[in-house]
Amino acid sequence: MNKVLTLAKRELESLFFSPVAYLALAVFAFVTAFVFAYGIFVPGMQASMSDMFTYLVWLLIFIAPAISMRLISEEASSGTLEMLMTSPISDTQIILGKWLGALGFFLVLLSPIFLQIILLEIKADPDYGPIITGLFGILLIGGLYLAIGIFVSAFNNSQLVTFMITVLITGLFTFGMYFLARAEFMPSQMKVAMFYMNVNEQFRSFSKGLIDIRNIIYFVSAIAFFLFLGIKTLEARRWN
Amino acid sequence: MITATNLVKWYGPTLAVDDLSFEIPKGEIVGFLGPNGAGKSTTLRILTGYLPPTSGTATIAEHDILKQPLQARSQIGYLPEGTPLYGEARVTEYLHYRGSLLNMSRKERVQRIDEVCDRCGLTHLRRRVISRLSKGNRQRVGLAQALLSKPPILILDEPTAALDPNQIGEVRKLIKELGGEHTILLSTHILPEVEKTADRVMIIAGGRLLADGKPKELRQEISQDARIVLEASASAAKLVNIIKPLAGVTDIETANDAEYSRIFISTDLDVTADTLLSSIGETLLNERIVIRELHTEQASLEDFFVKITDRLAAQTASKSV
Repeated sequence: MNKVLTLAKRELESLFFSPVAYLALAVFAFVTAFVFAYGIFVPGMQASMSDMFTYLVWLLIFIAPAISMRLISEEASSGTLEMLMTSPISDTQIILGKWLGALGFFLVLLSPIFLQIILLEIKADPDYGPIITGLFGILLIGGLYLAIGIFVSAFNNSQLVTFMITVLITGLFTFGMYFLARAEFMPSQMKVAMFYMNVNEQFRSFSKGLIDIRNIIYFVSAIAFFLFLGIKTLEARRWN
Repeated sequence: MITATNLVKWYGPTLAVDDLSFEIPKGEIVGFLGPNGAGKSTTLRILTGYLPPTSGTATIAEHDILKQPLQARSQIGYLPEGTPLYGEARVTEYLHYRGSLLNMSRKERVQRIDEVCDRCGLTHLRRRVISRLSKGNRQRVGLAQALLSKPPILILDEPTAALDPNQIGEVRKLIKELGGEHTILLSTHILPEVEKTADRVMIIAGGRLLADGKPKELRQEISQDARIVLEASASAAKLVNIIKPLAGVTDIETANDAEYSRIFISTDLDVTADTLLSSIGETLLNERIVIRELHTEQASLEDFFVKITDRLAAQTASKSV
C-alpha cells in the first residue's frame, strides 16, 4: 500500500508539471464558471447544483482523458516505464498508484465547484443532500473515466492516440449508449442493456439526492473492470 | 549470484537471444560485450524481469525471475540503457521516490541518499532539476539510484555510453570500487571498457555466447596470431631474404620499401614471438643492419572481437546457403 501511495504522490506531482493538465484545469474552470454564472447563480432560480452536474457528465468525457492520457504512455515513450517495471513492485501496484494519483488531480480539478457551492451558501440556502450525492457521483464518474484512460494508455505510447481512443470509449458510455438504447435496429433486450450501461442514466439518481446501491455497484464494478484490463495490458506489454 | 539457464528470446520472427547459459559468482565484475543488436540489452532485460524469456529461466540470488519476480528484482540495482529519469524532479526528490519504491524507510533514505550522492559526485547537484543536468550527471543520478538500496547485484546497461573521456574514466573508477561490494554485470560495445574494469568478459553476438573468460585469457588466445613489426636500414627485399629462413617465420608482408624498410612478420605457433625476436635481432646485427624498430604487435581484444564476429558472420552465411 505504501508503494501505491508513493506512486500516486509522484503521479499527482508530475501532473502539475504537465501543460495539458493545466489546460484541462483552465477549460474546466472556465466552462463550469460559465454554467454557474448563467445557469445557476441567477436570481429566482432554485439554489441547486443539479444542472451543473448534468453538464459535468458531458464535459468530463473530454477533460478526464486529457488527464489520463499521459499516465502510462509518457512513461513508456520516455523509457521510465522500464525503471518502474524492473522495480520490486507489481503491475497492480503501478496501475492502482497511477489511477489514485490521477484521481487526486481530479479532486483538484473539481475545486471551482466547491467555491461555487460556497457562493450559493452565501447568497441562498442550497439543499445539501443532492449536492453531496451529486459530488459523490461525479467522483465515481471521474474514477471510471480515468480507469478507462489508464487502460488505454497502457497499450499506447502516443499520448494523442491515447486521448482519442479514451474519448471514444467515454463517449460510447454516454452519447453512444444513449443513441444505441433508442436505435431501431437494436433488439429490445439490448436496448434495455444499453439503457442501463449509460453513465448519464446511472448518474441520474445521484443528482437527485438519492444514493442507490445499484448505481454504486455499476460504477465500482466498471472501475474495477477497466483497472483490471489496465493491469492485464501492462502485464502483456512484457510479452511483446 | 546470477544463473542463466538456456535463455531464449524471440521477438516475433527474430531470434534475439539463442540458448544462452552462464553463471556469475558473487563479487565478480563481468563485462558483457557484443556489437549493437547482439542481444546484450535483451539479456539484461530478461535478468531484470522487464521481459520474460521465450524459454529457459534465470535465478537472481536464488530467486527464480519467473516464479519470484519481486524478490528477484529487489536484489538488483539496474541502470537501463539511456538512463531514463523523470526530468521534472529534483535529484534528491527522485532518489527519495526511488527509495520508497524500494521499501526504504525515510530515515534509511536520508542516510543512503547522502552516501550515494557523495559516492557518485552529486552532492553539489542535489537540488538541481534532472532535465537541466548534463548527460554525464544524469548518468550519475542513474548510478546513484541503482546503488540506493545497496543491492547485492548491479546490472548496468551501457553505463559509459555518451560520456566524454573524463567522465568515462570516473565511471570506470566507480565501477571498479563497487566491485568489492556488489556483483556487477555491465554491457558495452566498447572494448577498452571491459578490459579495464571487468574480471571476466563474455562476448556475445547473434544472441549466442561466443567466448567467456578473463580479459587476459582471451587475449592470450589471440596472441598466438601476434606478428612482429620490423623497421631496419635495408631494402625490403634484402630484409625478407635474411628473415625468411629463420625458424618460426610463416609469412612476411612489406609495408614500406625505402632507406629504412618496414615489414610485418607472421609467426607460427611452434616458436614463441620472443625467441624469434632475439634471433631476428642477432641476425640483423651480424649483417650490420641498423634496427630502428622491432617489437611484437600486441593483439587487442578489439582484434579478437572482430575475428570472432567475422567467424560468426561466416557461419551464418554458410548456414543460409
